[in-house]
Amino acid sequence: MSDTVLLDAAAAYPEVAAVRRALRARDWSAVRAVLDPASPVGRSILIRAAADGDSLEDFLRSVVSSDPDDTMAVAMLGMHLINVGWKIRSGYRAQYVSGGQFAAFHDWLRKAEIVLLDGVARRPSDPALWVARLTSARGLELGLSETRRRYQKLAAADPHHLPGQNQYLQRLCPKWSGSWELLHTWCRAEMLAAPPGAVQGVLVVDGHIEHWLELESGGPAYLRSRPVRQEIEEAAQRSVSHPDFGRDWGWVQAASSFAMAFSLIGDKAAAAAMFRMLGDLGTEIPWQYLGDGNAANQIRDYRRRAARHGKAA
Amino acid sequence: MIKQLEVAGVPVLLAPTTGPAHAGLAFRVGFADEPLAKRGITHLIEHLALHSVGVADYHYNGATGVEFTRFHMQGAEADVVTFLNGVCAALRDLPMRRLEVEKEVLAAESHGRSAAVAEPMSLWRYGARDYGTIAYPEWGLPAITEDDLRAWVARYFTRENAVLWVAGDEVPAGLELDLPPGARQPAPAPSSALPVTPACFAGDSGLVVWDAVVPRSPAAYVYADVLERMLFRELRQESGLSYTAQTDYQPVGRDRVTILAMADAMPEKSGAVLGGMVDVLATLRAGRVDPADVTAVVNKQVEALRLAEEVGARLPGQALGLLAGRPVQDAGEQIAALHTVTAAEVAEVAAEAWRTGLMMSPGRADWAGFALAPQTSERAVTGTEFRYLGDSTSRLMVGPEGVSVVEEENLATVRYDECVLVRAWPDGGRQLVGADGIVVRVEPTLLKGGPAAVGRIDAAIPPGLRVDEPARNPGQIPKPRAKAGPAGTASHSDKVAGIMGLILWWPVTLVFGGLGALLFLSLLTDTEDLAYTLSVAVLCALVTALGVVGIRRSHHRMRYGARPPKRR
Repeated sequence: MSDTVLLDAAAAYPEVAAVRRALRARDWSAVRAVLDPASPVGRSILIRAAADGDSLEDFLRSVVSSDPDDTMAVAMLGMHLINVGWKIRSGYRAQYVSGGQFAAFHDWLRKAEIVLLDGVARRPSDPALWVARLTSARGLELGLSETRRRYQKLAAADPHHLPGQNQYLQRLCPKWSGSWELLHTWCRAEMLAAPPGAVQGVLVVDGHIEHWLELESGGPAYLRSRPVRQEIEEAAQRSVSHPDFGRDWGWVQAASSFAMAFSLIGDKAAAAAMFRMLGDLGTEIPWQYLGDGNAANQIRDYRRRAARHGKAA
Repeated sequence: MIKQLEVAGVPVLLAPTTGPAHAGLAFRVGFADEPLAKRGITHLIEHLALHSVGVADYHYNGATGVEFTRFHMQGAEADVVTFLNGVCAALRDLPMRRLEVEKEVLAAESHGRSAAVAEPMSLWRYGARDYGTIAYPEWGLPAITEDDLRAWVARYFTRENAVLWVAGDEVPAGLELDLPPGARQPAPAPSSALPVTPACFAGDSGLVVWDAVVPRSPAAYVYADVLERMLFRELRQESGLSYTAQTDYQPVGRDRVTILAMADAMPEKSGAVLGGMVDVLATLRAGRVDPADVTAVVNKQVEALRLAEEVGARLPGQALGLLAGRPVQDAGEQIAALHTVTAAEVAEVAAEAWRTGLMMSPGRADWAGFALAPQTSERAVTGTEFRYLGDSTSRLMVGPEGVSVVEEENLATVRYDECVLVRAWPDGGRQLVGADGIVVRVEPTLLKGGPAAVGRIDAAIPPGLRVDEPARNPGQIPKPRAKAGPAGTASHSDKVAGIMGLILWWPVTLVFGGLGALLFLSLLTDTEDLAYTLSVAVLCALVTALGVVGIRRSHHRMRYGARPPKRR
């Protein structure tokens, strides 16, 4: 077993490196050559990963102004502006963010909103725009009814769109003025609505990880409680453990969340199966929630423990 | 086909009708012409003019609007003549003896009336001038004099500023239309209270309203109805967020129109209603206008025009258009113009409408690119400072340029040269309204040196702005807020009064308390004069209790400056 942990999306999806390369070269047609053949979910993931780059605003604005109907450019510009804002806000909880940081954060999100509004006006069927609009709606605290409206627009354009579901899941958490009841009900409903073997089982696990994280105790008792454990196992059966679970966009995130949940529950066999599926791959979220916040260290540690169990068994 | 004639110098539009004959006389004057200090004068004249018509059997009415005042009637030819001649005669010689009664009637009428959604929009867009005054009650009424009425009639109710329409076969014989000569009065130029557009402001829960001002055109007319179809689809049919989603189209002056869109919303859904409306507006702005919507709307509008033409219902609109300075159009011309409207032209209107838009919603719309409309003044006037009783955070500034109320998070300034109305109550209360709609209230009962502040303001108010109001009930006159506990601070006089109270009540309480206690104790050992000792002891106990209350009150006054809070 290697000690390597690859957290970058580029390790899981080679298109990510290609789209970043094309962006660095400021070659929009090369970017499109990668995005066009991807599935809608793949495109949203690629746009999000690529929008993380530095100093893309001028280039993306020039692409959008030369063709305002190119909503992939609009979504990437919107996502880039949101990322810039979120870096200013920092990932801390609201009480640790200063007023000035909030003002700048909101300014960037409003810039993104204005770009995205014109995008959806031109092509409301592009899911990547709604993923970005769900992200900015959360940051701007636009209220649950508007966020839900946006999610419904996304679902109408592309049901089971994991990148948007991730955003909406966050919005339903109490830390963003949602509630656990809303969150868990929605996660399970979305999982059941998706075909067996789809990645949507991860929503149930992520919902419980968010809930566990919020509990003061910090111990694994919540995840180990019978009803929660049963729900997580059911979700695994419908997704990562289902014979139809493939290597479609989002699979790394799904396996990664299940690996962490099973690790905390203490089901080392199930965790080991997830780590075998992942190989060297992993994701920052949710592993950065653990211990020192270094996802790679946490993955390495729990992967080793699960592997030892495998040898012992 | 509309025929254009003239009777006694008044232009007349005549068109046949298949329904009952009707006629209307309109003048180019309305709320928008009224300075706020004369608000209500046109409506008052309309009432006075109709009074002489009395309780006639035929169907008639009068209506004062934003830009036009009309007298309308339906019935036999002879009745039309009697009615219109009567209105003109009354305008020439208003029944002034009715003045005070009609003011009362108007007050009662306004009491029963609910605000239209367009009112807050006008207030925020225009302020307290011209097109913004429709948002205000008829605050000028108490001050309107007979001379004011005569001057207003002489300026606006003239033959040059009038138009008559008749739906029937001919102009009725015997129609005199004896009106004084004058001049056509164009509609006022709209002012603006918005430094930038698109803009937004917070409104009541339950409604999301947007409006825009664009050049008048057939494409704008089509745009308003296309917008309504899209809002209805988006907000009602597809998402069930709203019950009502509709638009309105109102001409402004000669060549502009206001297009207003409104949707109702449950309070918890208003964010989504706002989001849905913004998306629809942006869709049209981006040029995504469905030609099928345009065709459907044009067909509906053409159908409505044909129907209106048959019953003479196009006449009022054409007559008012003539007063506004537009040529009279045939139904055929209007229909042909509608048929030429393209989706691209509708999109151009949508883009212009977006730029001039004003949004009212319970939650902020700034995320969508709407600037927050100003709610406070930019700067305070310099001058004498007056402090508020029991409120250390606010102050009133009275200077040679105007008046400001400076509060912790609010600043309201009304400059005298921008002041449009001062309401004055006999108790000294004043309400100053600025042209931008900002209001400063001065209540001498709440201020240290209040009467002096009011005196200075009264001396500086420009002429023609003051409206004296009847006396208020004592309950309506504000009183300084009772301090609810330690939040308040005591003034110097409160401190002195408090200390004096303590100096008085402490010895009284101690002496009588001690005496009472001794007397009660003596009862244990000495039973002589039982009744006498007991009654003196009880008296001492009562005085002691009074003393405790006195100490408590004095202590509170010394610390917090007001009487102890009342418990309810």
